[in-house]
Amino acid sequence: MTRVERSGALRWLCTLAAAAALVLVLFPVYAIIVGSFESTNTLFSGTFYWLPHAATLDNYRTVVHAQSANVVTSMVVGLGTALLALVVAVPAAYALSKYRLRVTVILVSSLLIAQIVPSIVLATSLFIVFHWINLVNSYLGLIIADGTYAVPFAILVLRAFLFSLPNELLYAARVDGATEWQTFRLIVIPLARSAVITVAVFAFLAGWGDFIFALTILNGSGIEPITLGIYTYLGNYSTDWGAVMAAGVFAMVPAGILLVVAQRYIASGLTAGSVKG
Amino acid sequence: MTPLRLTSRSKEQLAGWLFLAPAIAYLLFAFALPIVYNVTLSFERTSPATIASLTAPFAGLGNYRFILSDPTSRKAIANTFWFTVGSLVGQFLIGFALALLFSMRFPGRTLGRSLVIVPWLLPLIVTGVMFRFLFQLEGGAVNQLLTGLGIAHHGVDWLDDPHLALWTILIANIWLGVPFFTLLLYSALQDVPMEIKEAAIIDGASPWQRLRLVIVPIILPVIEVTLLLGFVFTVKVFDLVIGLTGGGPANATQLITTWSYNLSFQQFSFGEGAALNNLLLLLALVCSPIYLFLSRDSLRRSSGADE
Repeated sequence: MTRVERSGALRWLCTLAAAAALVLVLFPVYAIIVGSFESTNTLFSGTFYWLPHAATLDNYRTVVHAQSANVVTSMVVGLGTALLALVVAVPAAYALSKYRLRVTVILVSSLLIAQIVPSIVLATSLFIVFHWINLVNSYLGLIIADGTYAVPFAILVLRAFLFSLPNELLYAARVDGATEWQTFRLIVIPLARSAVITVAVFAFLAGWGDFIFALTILNGSGIEPITLGIYTYLGNYSTDWGAVMAAGVFAMVPAGILLVVAQRYIASGLTAGSVKG
Repeated sequence: MTPLRLTSRSKEQLAGWLFLAPAIAYLLFAFALPIVYNVTLSFERTSPATIASLTAPFAGLGNYRFILSDPTSRKAIANTFWFTVGSLVGQFLIGFALALLFSMRFPGRTLGRSLVIVPWLLPLIVTGVMFRFLFQLEGGAVNQLLTGLGIAHHGVDWLDDPHLALWTILIANIWLGVPFFTLLLYSALQDVPMEIKEAAIIDGASPWQRLRLVIVPIILPVIEVTLLLGFVFTVKVFDLVIGLTGGGPANATQLITTWSYNLSFQQFSFGEGAALNNLLLLLALVCSPIYLFLSRDSLRRSSGADE
């Protein structure tokens, strides 16, 4: 620690600067929460109230009534995306980190590039392909599409993690006569638990928060996740701001919960995915 | 020690391929197929009627000629350019400043660091809605603050003034991207060895000199990767704009992504949309060689040379 940093005044100045930055970062979230408790009259009064003004639960009543099914849909899609990511990524990451395969370099390069591909490029084609094989308007189709956010990320993060797993453990398992599959299931998966959770959390959030594939692949009837529900509210000519914001708050809940209960996994996931590649 | 030598080479190959099979199948179906199909689509004269079949009449370069001459497509391309440049500059400067701030020791830094990532976790469409609420002409917090402090005499039309709306989506996107830059640059700063920083102080380097001549060169690789990924995220932005302005007013905030969506899914000109998609893909893939180069450590590790 330097002399300068030790000085108390500067430290508090840093706290002050950080607090100011956090106000800017968190204010939009605060505003939407305040807004979600305002009555329609207040919202259209032309004044923004910095603190809730005549708070009401009306918007939440509207949203619970209209969007509950959509919240369930988003849950299913989020869980499905997490499941798909794990089923595809865990074994692949294992093979790409612990086996000597000629395809490894090509596959890892492809995964790095896959992360770059814009979703709208995939959405346009997938819509027509899904149309052809009857996956439009289906959970399966949406989950497959949402997997494009999660699968490359998941494989790369898990692979980086598995490198740190001592080879001696796998060696010991084989000496004891374990098959490749047993080694994978009984040694690798349990030891990789924290990375698996990280990946599952991110895949869930990707599926939960997806909008572009929901918008393109679910054209209209039947399945509607919460993100699409919010968009439908926005599209109405007289936007019901209260309902939009209450639905927005609903859509933020999983991120909020995970930030509290899975902080560790989120922080490690955010850095692992990008730098360690 | 290489444990896998115990099993025979061919058995190892077989097990490896079996573990990889689901991933390969998924990548082929969800990435390779759409990308290839998008290329064929861009050379076809599509119509609402051709969606039901996988193919349409050949159109030559017609779709590409269209997207290069159509005024809205050109506007979307130009907007994407300015939006990307502006976002990267803003995200980097603010993100780096915050990363430096959080590297100092002060009360509350841990809490601060965990809260600063909030914007990154929210569904993007919600972020769009949030900023639409904040930037409303009447009843928006931003205008109320500006007029309240006497900075503006009357509300600024952030969303419906075609000259301003691009700035509005830019501000929202900078807000969205700052946490990512902060987090990555922060963790890079933690890896700068203490001795080097101290040596620079002993040599009498000013804080600015230390930053410019010591710290930045050390963390340069991370800065490069971060800027590259920031670029990729920004050219992909879609939900945010749809939620905030819907591409309006009068297409003032159309980006390549939103206009491609509009062409394909609202005008049902999938061929034109696909041509624009390919332009976007080309733009995004331009940086893939750089990305692969920057990730070379991770790639090299895979070439069978495990410790």
